[in-house]
Amino acid sequence: MIKSYKLSRTISDIVIYVVLGGLGLLWVSPLVWLVLHSFRKEGGVSVPYVFPKEYTLDNYLDLFTKTEVFDYPRWFLNTFVVAVFACIISTLSVLMVSYAFSRLRFKSRKTFINIGMVLGMFPGFMTMIALYYLLKAMNLTQTLPALVICYSSGAGLGFAISKGFFDTIPRALDEAATIDGATRNEIFWKIILPMSKPIIVYTVLTSFIGPWCDFILVKIIMGDKRDNFTVAMGLRKMTEKEYKQNYFKQFLAGSVLVAIPITVLFMKMQNYYVEGVTAGGVKG
Amino acid sequence: MTFIEYKALSPADKVKYKVGEFFSQIPNKLSVFGKTIANFFKNLIAKIIAGFKGYGSRFANGDMATKISYIVMGFGNFTRGQVGKGLAFLAAEILYFIYMANFGLAYLNKFDTLGTVKTTQTINPDTGRPMSVYGDNSMLILLYGTLTILITFVLIGIYVANTKAAYEAELALKAGKKNLTLKEELADFLDGKYHVTMLSLPVLLISVFTILPLAFMILIAFTSYDGQHTPPGNLFTWVGLETFRNVFKVTEGASKGYTFVSLTKWTIIWAIFATFSNYLVGMILALMINKKSIKFKSLWRTMFVITVAVPQFVSLLLMNQMLQDDGVVNVILERMGMQPISFFNSTAFVARVTVIVINMWVGVPYTILQTTGILLNIPEDLYESARIDGATPVVQFFQITLPYMLFVTTPYLIQSFVGNINNFNVIYLLTDGGPSKNPNLYQAGETDLLVTWLFKLTMNSNDYNTAAAVGILVFIVCATLSLITFNLSKSSRNEEEFS
Amino acid sequence: MNKTKRICAIAIAAMLAVTSFAGCGSGDTGSTGGTTGGSTGGETTASTTGGGTTVTGDGGDPLYGEGANGTINLKVWGPDAAQEVLKGQCKKFSENMKAYGDVQIEVIPQGEADSAALVLNDATVAADVFGFACDNLNKLVRTGCLLEVTGAEKDAVIADNSEGSVKAATVTDKDTGEDKIYGYPETGDNSYILVYNKDYVSEDQAKTLEGTLEACKAANKKFVIEAGNGYYSCMFMFTGGLKIDGYEEDGETQKFTEYDEAKVVKTMMAFQDLFIKYKDNLLVGEITKVVDGFKSDTVAAGIDGSWNFSHAKETLGDKAGFAVLPTINVDGTDTPIINMFGYKLLGVNSSTKYPNTSIELAKFLAGEECQAERAEKLNWGPSNKAVAESDVVKNDQALSAILAQSANSVAQISIADSFWTPVATLGNKVSDTANPMDEAACSCMHRIAQSNYR
Repeated sequence: MIKSYKLSRTISDIVIYVVLGGLGLLWVSPLVWLVLHSFRKEGGVSVPYVFPKEYTLDNYLDLFTKTEVFDYPRWFLNTFVVAVFACIISTLSVLMVSYAFSRLRFKSRKTFINIGMVLGMFPGFMTMIALYYLLKAMNLTQTLPALVICYSSGAGLGFAISKGFFDTIPRALDEAATIDGATRNEIFWKIILPMSKPIIVYTVLTSFIGPWCDFILVKIIMGDKRDNFTVAMGLRKMTEKEYKQNYFKQFLAGSVLVAIPITVLFMKMQNYYVEGVTAGGVKG
Repeated sequence: MTFIEYKALSPADKVKYKVGEFFSQIPNKLSVFGKTIANFFKNLIAKIIAGFKGYGSRFANGDMATKISYIVMGFGNFTRGQVGKGLAFLAAEILYFIYMANFGLAYLNKFDTLGTVKTTQTINPDTGRPMSVYGDNSMLILLYGTLTILITFVLIGIYVANTKAAYEAELALKAGKKNLTLKEELADFLDGKYHVTMLSLPVLLISVFTILPLAFMILIAFTSYDGQHTPPGNLFTWVGLETFRNVFKVTEGASKGYTFVSLTKWTIIWAIFATFSNYLVGMILALMINKKSIKFKSLWRTMFVITVAVPQFVSLLLMNQMLQDDGVVNVILERMGMQPISFFNSTAFVARVTVIVINMWVGVPYTILQTTGILLNIPEDLYESARIDGATPVVQFFQITLPYMLFVTTPYLIQSFVGNINNFNVIYLLTDGGPSKNPNLYQAGETDLLVTWLFKLTMNSNDYNTAAAVGILVFIVCATLSLITFNLSKSSRNEEEFS
Repeated sequence: MNKTKRICAIAIAAMLAVTSFAGCGSGDTGSTGGTTGGSTGGETTASTTGGGTTVTGDGGDPLYGEGANGTINLKVWGPDAAQEVLKGQCKKFSENMKAYGDVQIEVIPQGEADSAALVLNDATVAADVFGFACDNLNKLVRTGCLLEVTGAEKDAVIADNSEGSVKAATVTDKDTGEDKIYGYPETGDNSYILVYNKDYVSEDQAKTLEGTLEACKAANKKFVIEAGNGYYSCMFMFTGGLKIDGYEEDGETQKFTEYDEAKVVKTMMAFQDLFIKYKDNLLVGEITKVVDGFKSDTVAAGIDGSWNFSHAKETLGDKAGFAVLPTINVDGTDTPIINMFGYKLLGVNSSTKYPNTSIELAKFLAGEECQAERAEKLNWGPSNKAVAESDVVKNDQALSAILAQSANSVAQISIADSFWTPVATLGNKVSDTANPMDEAACSCMHRIAQSNYR
């Protein structure tokens, strides 16, 4: 009996290994394909075989040396700067809003929460022209600050998860501190924030990644100002009809270079991410 | 019923209970939701009325300085020891007048017609060459008019607050108390009124860059802003509910109405399949990875989760490339002696299945991340007793894991359902709505969701009003769904549980 | 309450009265709403920038005095590939105009396909002179973004350029029925023809579609066609004798000319039958697959656009063959395939601050001299009649083939927004070899493609 139990367990383990291995390969295969073909020497957009015939570093080198048409290093820097500033403002906004909603009690708090919940559900790109002309009235179009504003202004609406996280921190802590004479401001900075590392990392991570992925907004805001493009927009441009034939391999190489830092960051902070989401996202 | 009580039911009863509960709650939830909305507006109106009542009585009862505050904002505070506060009120008033005189009023004046003078070209009599004669730009009038109205509302709020502050300062002095100095009031913003400090910046940003554009977009649904009325060369104007009527008018053959109905159907099917396929597969994978006897847990997890870190526009574009008729996938299929499949170009069914499967590639890693922690929290004794009863892992999954997870993660499920209704990236980058094989669809293909259709309407044919109307409808559905689940879910009701 | 405070208060009241009632007009417009919630600033109305100058030109001044008030700053958009040439030409223009004013021209890379979208988004920051594909003409004219070409300029455009290109720059006024020109034809080659590898397809075989497909089959290579795109798939209808002619009276739906429906259906069925017969050698997909296929030696021929010719030449060298679209056998007669032919136009932004200088520049860039230079250096097919007759064009197989094709084509003019999607749908159907249509379905499809949406 025990033996057959053991046997069935071994079999089920083997099945699981096979399933995980197979699906895992399926999951990473597009990324492997991406990396392999970013080193491809021959061909244009597509080739009728799986593995490249010849490998070269030229696709990567061209990104940094042939910058007259597509200034990849500059875009990379732009994106980095935008991401850093957007990330700071977003993180502060999110933490401030969720702290207020979670710990402070004030009139019409519920109303605010409900409004905040639904505001983000209107299809975002519908408001792009309005956003453009607002920024234009402020003389900010075609500049990087405009992007920072766009990416971080609505961040406060994403309070749900971190509010959930703050909700789990015992209120007794606040009360004890209040008795000791601490103001709410001090409680926020000195007690709550130090305890919220997972959720801070989660917020920083998600808001930092945002600007690396958007191209629709950049297109509207930057117009013909190619110097102020972000990598996502630039890479997207490489795949347009006019350039695709020439630049597709560079597009692959550029994509790999974007993915590397984000992946490293993500892997490093994965555990915080899981902790933050689990605590804040779906508590029963 | 608690989870433990629920567990004690027989499987058939459990299903009955769940289904019964689900349907019995729908009318209840809707009515509660309706009441909440009604209450919200009732309270709002009551507050406004109360505000005006106080406004009148304060004027009648206040002294001269308070009365002057009704014209010169901040006067009451200024003369009663609150110089900073008084000056702030005054500054608000002055800035408002400057704004109105230089910018706002011009747009507000034309707000009712959205402009009457068309931009035209004439021949310049001096040069014999064409030149532009600039007229009104309906879009800017609508946008800046809306901005002006919002600013006016804010100023009215500040203005009423100013009269209140003046009157309160007067009463305080009369009662022999000393009014708070600016410094003291500022200090209060770090403690008693800390929520104001915390919320003001985000609320300001959200008002200007989210609410205002949103209000603008909503208003567009009531105008004639379409391909034939595109500024700057054309004017558009208010048309009331006509756009909505067109969206709902289902005629034979191709029409916006037909397209709306058929895309709505597919959007719902898509949202259901996309949500549950991700949820189930992600959860099963998470269970497999976290099974005690399985080694290399972090390796497995990394293999799946690494895909999250690659920007979607890259990975989806690659997928599109790989699934072409002559793409890698078909090359492999052919090598293996199988028929190549035209993923995006054959029938609607094949393309739809393809996008749902690819969406799993995108979404499953997120589910793995999100459910891992909760799965580990399922009480071990539940499994223990099931194992003693001789339940196989599959039975355990359906009897324990799934019900527990559904019980705990309903809000998350609804959220991802709403997210999938608005899932722009996957469809836009993967198929761009294709294949377009149904000639009755207006500006849309077979895999277009309502959101991607909106995008095409604005980008290809400038049908902004239709897009805005459809956007509003989608928004109402999503907002209702999430408000109901959020407000009635355990997490909202038990908000104070940890206090 | 002490005295000083009272004085202060009165001063504030007075200040307010002054600001709010007397002199609100003055003051800094850039001020922000601050505490009032929103902030605005910058220009008063975006629609008042520019405006025509009314300075009279002294007879010979082509800039009509625009140069008198200091430097004229212009922005020009052109595609990446043409940057060098364009910069040189702009420099030359500035030199020509030296006597009348200091013209500084900024050349910014911006492809013709995208430029219209950017102009529509915000014309006030767009280029003063920009190149665009003629299918965007209507949108640009409807929204009032282009300055009309009138008077002597109009006459010159009509006289110098090929008939098709002039037609492509013309819009019929909805109200008056008058033909108005809104662009300066820049090229006459924005279309697609047959491109093949001479190793597999002979010049003779390339004359008929049957021959080409047979050659592909013999070589076991593919034939590429992009059918899921209205720009290419319209040839299935056009070959059957159908033509489009501007708009219906409502000004937004496509008008189709008289035609023989039975013939159109027969032609589409002929295409479909041929595709089914050679389905193993047919590759339906983006046109980039033509050159990709040449590179990997899997494609023998395909229908490719003029903007890819240089890539084809680079890849195949002398083996690259170019020919007008082949004929297809419909009911026993070899019928030439008729396609849609586009042109690139130069437009003058109607919001430009310097309309006269911009007109002058557009005229120059679209003129004979510049077109000849582009034909020579960039291999762009000219719209200018004189350049089309030059040796540079005649000795180039690709250029002469594409110019020859323009005779057998429908000019890409006045295309309704609602035209493309249904025609793409039709193309998808015709090329779907797995689920062929019967004649009834075909005629139904085709009627729907025309019915357009209301």
